[in-house]
Amino acid sequence: MTPLLLVARRHLVHNWFRTAISVVGVAIGSCFMIAMSALMAGFETKFVRETIESSPHVVVLDEFRAAPDEFATWLSRAVGGVAAVASSHPRDRLNRIKKPLELIEALRATERVAAAAPEVVGTSILNFGSREIGAQLVGIDPEQQERVVSTDEFMTEGRLLDLHSASGAIVLGSGLAERLGVKRGDTIGTALRSGGARALRVVGVFHTGIVPIDAVRAYTLVTLAQQLLELGRDVNRVVLRLHDHREAREVAADVEAMTGYRTESWQETNANFLSIFSLQKAITYIVTSGITIVAAFGILNVLIMLVLEKLPEIAMLKSMGYTAADVTGVFLLEGLAIAALGVVLGSILGYGLTEFLASLPIPQKGLIESEHLVMENTPSLYVIAALFSFASTLVAAALPALRAGRLDPVVTLRGRA
Amino acid sequence: MSGAATATTVATAALRTVKLSRTLGTGDAATEILHGIDLEIGRGEFCSIMGPSGSGKSTLMYLLGALDRPSAGAVEIDGVDTARLSESGLAAVRNAKVGFIFQFHYLMPEFSALENVMIPQLKKGVPARAARERGRALLARLGLEGKLARPPARLSGGEQQRVAVARSLANRPLVVLGDEPTGNLDTRNGESVFELFEQLVAEEGQTIVVVTHDPRLAARTQRIVRLQDGTVVDDGPPRAVLARAGERFTEPSP
Repeated sequence: MTPLLLVARRHLVHNWFRTAISVVGVAIGSCFMIAMSALMAGFETKFVRETIESSPHVVVLDEFRAAPDEFATWLSRAVGGVAAVASSHPRDRLNRIKKPLELIEALRATERVAAAAPEVVGTSILNFGSREIGAQLVGIDPEQQERVVSTDEFMTEGRLLDLHSASGAIVLGSGLAERLGVKRGDTIGTALRSGGARALRVVGVFHTGIVPIDAVRAYTLVTLAQQLLELGRDVNRVVLRLHDHREAREVAADVEAMTGYRTESWQETNANFLSIFSLQKAITYIVTSGITIVAAFGILNVLIMLVLEKLPEIAMLKSMGYTAADVTGVFLLEGLAIAALGVVLGSILGYGLTEFLASLPIPQKGLIESEHLVMENTPSLYVIAALFSFASTLVAAALPALRAGRLDPVVTLRGRA
Repeated sequence: MSGAATATTVATAALRTVKLSRTLGTGDAATEILHGIDLEIGRGEFCSIMGPSGSGKSTLMYLLGALDRPSAGAVEIDGVDTARLSESGLAAVRNAKVGFIFQFHYLMPEFSALENVMIPQLKKGVPARAARERGRALLARLGLEGKLARPPARLSGGEQQRVAVARSLANRPLVVLGDEPTGNLDTRNGESVFELFEQLVAEEGQTIVVVTHDPRLAARTQRIVRLQDGTVVDDGPPRAVLARAGERFTEPSP
């Protein structure tokens, strides 16, 4: 063992109580950083996983990013110059994706696209008895849809293919069914765009666990939706599943460039939620790093006290030929050892706290539905917490260590002579 | 003195100072502690430095042991001008050629007596086993063979200072510098430490320089250098120096 390591080890062992306090300080910081990060990551991962499973990776919409002002364009051409229109209203017409079958075939031929399906999406008022609730009506082809979005696995009553079982069949999200007060087999009504009403038979209920979906979404056959929304044979969405959902942004950009239709990745569609998760993650790291920084201040305090206490021994070490770097090294090694012990203990405590929190029956209702806190206990959380704890501890140890190294032994000896 | 004679003297001197000055503080607060001291300590010499408080004895010791740098003049240890050395160079000189003993023992409380003697050796790169053997031999010679594993807190004042003496000798230094090494000891323990110094000088030719206020102990050395107000005011055999200083010379006990 090198003499520096020997001296550092003895300091730590001899002053075991102060060492223990410092180690526990680092451990608490690490522990909370791991547990809080696991909580945040758990919610985000669950949301992303369920979003990826229950929503398309990419959606081609029936709109354009910047709708051209058609009248101004026509007028500019007609007058052979520049024309500005002070006030214009969009034409009262339904947006649609024309020739959807050709588009779907083209998209399916694309390398990164695993499956493509048409969708007709519109807002519809569903009523049951005296209850009327606005719903997002999604017309689908169940077989094609299933290849894009795993909806059938979320069915709690009936199956998605039951949409074929009756004319005017509809599958409701669990929240929607609950609010309407309907169950499988009931008949509900919907208002038609052109006026009048249409009876729909509830053939199933699905439950994704993502409240914004379960509370508003209803599936019906694409042909029925086309009738209800008066779209003829057109659709207003084409949904895609990719081989790798992480490529959604690039694929969306490519498809938009190819078709001209506004195309959103799942990240863009859920940008609000994802930005909330990012914000939450930042807040978590700020708070937990605060705990670690407080622990680092504790170490700073302990090591400053140790240096002050060891002034004569530091002077003696220097008189024996130990250099400033040696003395600095002793105290840095002590900081390193405290950090290492604290990180190990903090990781064990963090694992325990994460598992404990995950086991608590705390029902979650909101963006995500769960019977327990959703925790993601992954190695990366431990690595991040360890790196942060090491960095803050070493910074805290560096100040007294450098001070110890710079101490002039003659000043100490003269003061005690 | 001829050039050849000077060269010979320089080569044989363990310590040499040339117009050595040391000023502490800066600006208006600057105080010159030592004023142009020329001194030469030969190898195997047992020399004491005496003088009233504030005369610059400790400052001179720190400079002789390369623990401090002169403001002017030079300090040579084994012929090497310390002014030319970097901080790490000075540390290496202290480790290999100088052994310090202070008024307080400054033993490391976390280590046993034996380990305290090993610490300077480990810095020098001596393997742990050899350092342990050397430490054991030194402590045995100082009558501490039964207390090797004891921490300093469980040793008497005299024993602690003997461990400090063993530590100063651990790396077989060219010179042992003692800054009032018996200042905290009673008469019996103080004399016992000086007896040890005498043995080391006589048997091993160890060069030893000690600062002491005690004329009885100084009388046991071969030479006394008297400092006053940062200047050497007398230098010579103990009997003569003490007589000139008006101190009674006590014949060292055999």
